[in-house]
Amino acid sequence: MKTANKKVTAERLVRDALEKAEFFRDYNIFTFLNKTGAIQKAREIDAKIAKGEKVGRLAGVPYALKDNFLSPEGETTASAHILEGFTSPVTATVVEKLEAEGAIMIGRTNLDAFAHGSSTENSYYGPTLNAFDQERVAGGSSGGSAVAVALDIVEFATGTDTGGSIRQPASFNGVYGLKPTYGCNSRYGVVAMASSTDCIGFFTKTTEDMDLLMSVASGQDPKDMTTLPDFYNDTKPSKPRGRIGVIKDFDNELVNKEIRSALKKKCEALEKKGYEIVELEMPALKYALAAYYIIVPAEVASNLSRYDGVRYALRSDKSDDLDSLYENTRNEGFMPENKRRIMIGNFVLSSGFYDAYFLKAAKARTLIVKEYEKAFEKVDYILTPVSPSPAFKLGEKVNDPIAMYLEDVMSVSLNLAGVPGLAVPVGKTKSGLPIGLQLVGPRRSDKNLIKFAKELE
Amino acid sequence: MSKYVPTIGIECHVQLCTKTKLFSEVDNDARGKEPNSCVSPVDYALPGMLPRLNGEAIRFAILAGRAMNCEINAFSRFDRKHYFYPDSPKGYQITQFYQPIIGAGYVELPSGTKIRIEHAHLEGDAGKLTHFDGYSLVDLNRVDTPLIEIVSMPDIHSAKDAHDYCKELWRLMCYAGVTYGDLYNGNMRFDVNTSLAPEGSKKLGTRTEVKNLNSFRSVERAVEYEIKRQTKVLDSGEKVIQQTLGWSDATGKTTPQRSKEVAADYRYMPEPDLPPIHLSTEFIETESAKLPLMPSDYREKFKSTIAEDIMEVLLDYPALMQKLGEIDEKYVKNVSNLFASVLLAEEKSAEYLNGLPSAKDLNELAEMNEKKELSSTATKEVFLRLFDPQMKGHGAKNIAKELGLIQENDLGALEKIVETVLAKPETKKAQEDFKAGQEKVLGFLVGQVMKESHGKANPSVVSEILRHKLTK
Amino acid sequence: MNIKREDILHLASLSNLSLSDEEVKSLGKDLQDIIKYISQLDELDTKDVEPTYQVFEMKNVWRDDEIVDQGVSREELLALSAESRDNQIEVPKVL
Repeated sequence: MKTANKKVTAERLVRDALEKAEFFRDYNIFTFLNKTGAIQKAREIDAKIAKGEKVGRLAGVPYALKDNFLSPEGETTASAHILEGFTSPVTATVVEKLEAEGAIMIGRTNLDAFAHGSSTENSYYGPTLNAFDQERVAGGSSGGSAVAVALDIVEFATGTDTGGSIRQPASFNGVYGLKPTYGCNSRYGVVAMASSTDCIGFFTKTTEDMDLLMSVASGQDPKDMTTLPDFYNDTKPSKPRGRIGVIKDFDNELVNKEIRSALKKKCEALEKKGYEIVELEMPALKYALAAYYIIVPAEVASNLSRYDGVRYALRSDKSDDLDSLYENTRNEGFMPENKRRIMIGNFVLSSGFYDAYFLKAAKARTLIVKEYEKAFEKVDYILTPVSPSPAFKLGEKVNDPIAMYLEDVMSVSLNLAGVPGLAVPVGKTKSGLPIGLQLVGPRRSDKNLIKFAKELE
Repeated sequence: MSKYVPTIGIECHVQLCTKTKLFSEVDNDARGKEPNSCVSPVDYALPGMLPRLNGEAIRFAILAGRAMNCEINAFSRFDRKHYFYPDSPKGYQITQFYQPIIGAGYVELPSGTKIRIEHAHLEGDAGKLTHFDGYSLVDLNRVDTPLIEIVSMPDIHSAKDAHDYCKELWRLMCYAGVTYGDLYNGNMRFDVNTSLAPEGSKKLGTRTEVKNLNSFRSVERAVEYEIKRQTKVLDSGEKVIQQTLGWSDATGKTTPQRSKEVAADYRYMPEPDLPPIHLSTEFIETESAKLPLMPSDYREKFKSTIAEDIMEVLLDYPALMQKLGEIDEKYVKNVSNLFASVLLAEEKSAEYLNGLPSAKDLNELAEMNEKKELSSTATKEVFLRLFDPQMKGHGAKNIAKELGLIQENDLGALEKIVETVLAKPETKKAQEDFKAGQEKVLGFLVGQVMKESHGKANPSVVSEILRHKLTK
Repeated sequence: MNIKREDILHLASLSNLSLSDEEVKSLGKDLQDIIKYISQLDELDTKDVEPTYQVFEMKNVWRDDEIVDQGVSREELLALSAESRDNQIEVPKVL
């Protein structure tokens, strides 16, 4: 990562990034550009460098912040109308950590509203375009962040991954995207989607950058009681047993041919390097998507209850009484996909359906967790496609929720199991669209997982 | 007419007196503070805010549970209860629906009746709405004040027992030290379910629920009223409607509360933002050991020293019972009488309760009284001086001396004074009358001696001496 | 299971959404499809399986009972609300 020094100032780095952001306006990457704030911060860092004072590990590095991270710079909207006008008085823990090391946020990036989606088309501000084909989707939900890194506007961007929201856009745009172990990075100050699966991660162009960012971001946070004591920086280098798993069920006709052959090629390359490829039977994964689309909407419906027009952001003009304030604010403020998930969530939690849906899904989750545990008794890592297809056309799936949900079929089980997954760019299709593979490791293996991705280069 | 048997179940909310709220490091005591001055971004439910569990609330729950002879569940966790209202910023309340921390137990009433506890759980309180003409204002100070909700079994069958149960719960929670017990400020609130069933019937009748009562008296009155009202309904051949009622102390009546037609569906869901609680036996035992003596312990301890009626009065004041626990056993009766008849009769008794004299002073005082060095009036006076900021440090004995209240008990000295008085011509007539059998003049003679001694003589000793001298 | 118009209206009321007729229709179709999809869990044998609600192996995480300044004032919080009055949040009348 290029940090600022006496020759290349932070202001230079920031101005370059802002210029590129302006240049790529058409892609609809940013919901806010932090021109004044970023330059001011850059000058502060340059002053320190000039005085020979110590600066952080990310001194002057411009980055893009997914617009669901709270900070007082710009409005935090989660690309949702209902949060329009909301300037946060608090800062997300991860943002604080990055900035303490000198990173400079140059803009907030577009996402599917409240991170509900796999294409960034569910944004109140319109879709972000794919870095390699403007007629195609950026992927989602962290589409803006993925494209910002892919177009080289910034060296890294933050993301959130609840079911694939980092890995899928990373693979659609040919960059690295990490969903860490659940509890590795603090969720404090990040607009919650589904609390039991939300993970905070990054987009980068190299594995070294990913490692650096993780060593900055990870660790226990008293403001998030589901964070683990820092294991990332305490990880001992592992000696892989040399066995890599592939999931048998993921190799079928529903998966794009070119992706399948990319996976095959990588496996062959690994074999040449002396690794053994092990085919894994993981039958419970077949049910991961169904379980996911029960558990996640339930938590979504719950977490979105606080957006009611009472205490902040949007309040509908049509609010003569309390009931109409609630109903109209929420109806005007949420996107159709938000409403679908809220309604499904309330369905699976409602009296009479809880056992058949929510409880059943929680039991299915146990089987998925166990299946991963069993798999990692046999292999070091698992290599799978990230999604069944490369970036699809804008508008192709936006009105077909099930088709859109199937985008997540290979990514959601990691979130249900809490294990880390790294999207690794491995090449392009004939038509020039990036292909990504997903490297999956056991819980707390994040550091070694990132290191192992080198083997796939 | 007692053809119906009333059955009453009570849910009681107890606000815990932790320093901070259940899920944020904000001042938990909002009494007398400005609206919304005890509110953090977590309480305000900004996006991305997460609950931070207060460990003290877990410890308090263990004490509260043990005070009610309850099992403490090794495994418990939190759940979300969803409803939309401006007093609930998150749109849900964090409570314990599926696996509460406190299991089954019982509360024993002073009458000896045992009321079983079904379970009790931890949860966050709601904020406050004030309604005005055309608008309402929201104060979130009370949001996520820790509460313990105690759910009784339907073991109560009279308004009196309902009253006694609530009062005993209040005492238990105050003794356990988990609440300020300030009923006026809503530190304890009661929801009372009442139903009637024909005598001999095994099935319970349809119940009504009176919500948010905050005094024992209103619990008793509301239950009395509901029993009468439901009896009338049933006698006239109609059915009791299951509904939520409000109680008015002013009218002495319950009235149906406005409610949505559809029964509430709270969509309970395990709270994903808080890890589960898994308490070791060792932890539970260590915390339980911190439970001080409970009312039933005091009843047992003092059953032969303190009269039952005085005991029940004093039991309302944990500070007094704790003090009696420190008093020399032989003086407990004496001091308990001072507490009941002097201290509690004082206008400033509430203030006095916060600064009770030391056990040493009270022991000294009781000793002087029992040795007849202090008359009962003088004892009372010295007792009250022990609360006087000017004098309290002096010690009971010194105060008595400073005020010149020590009675003369020295027989030799007293005899001399008696002789002096008997030698006075103005007492001659009385002496003769006494000798002639007129008992009542003895009082006059005692009075003369008291006067001569400037009030320091012990009147009963004086009358003994007089009697002896005049009858020999 | 068959999702009827009244089911959608009930869910909308639980969700506090005032849906337009058009939305009731389209959501009705979407929900029907989604519920059909998630109902495939019925096939899965979960007898004697304990549920998993969190994939976080820690327990008993709690904090000390000490007041800590939160760094955000009442005024900053209330300023976020569309309407406030007398240091409180103002909402329209409750019907």
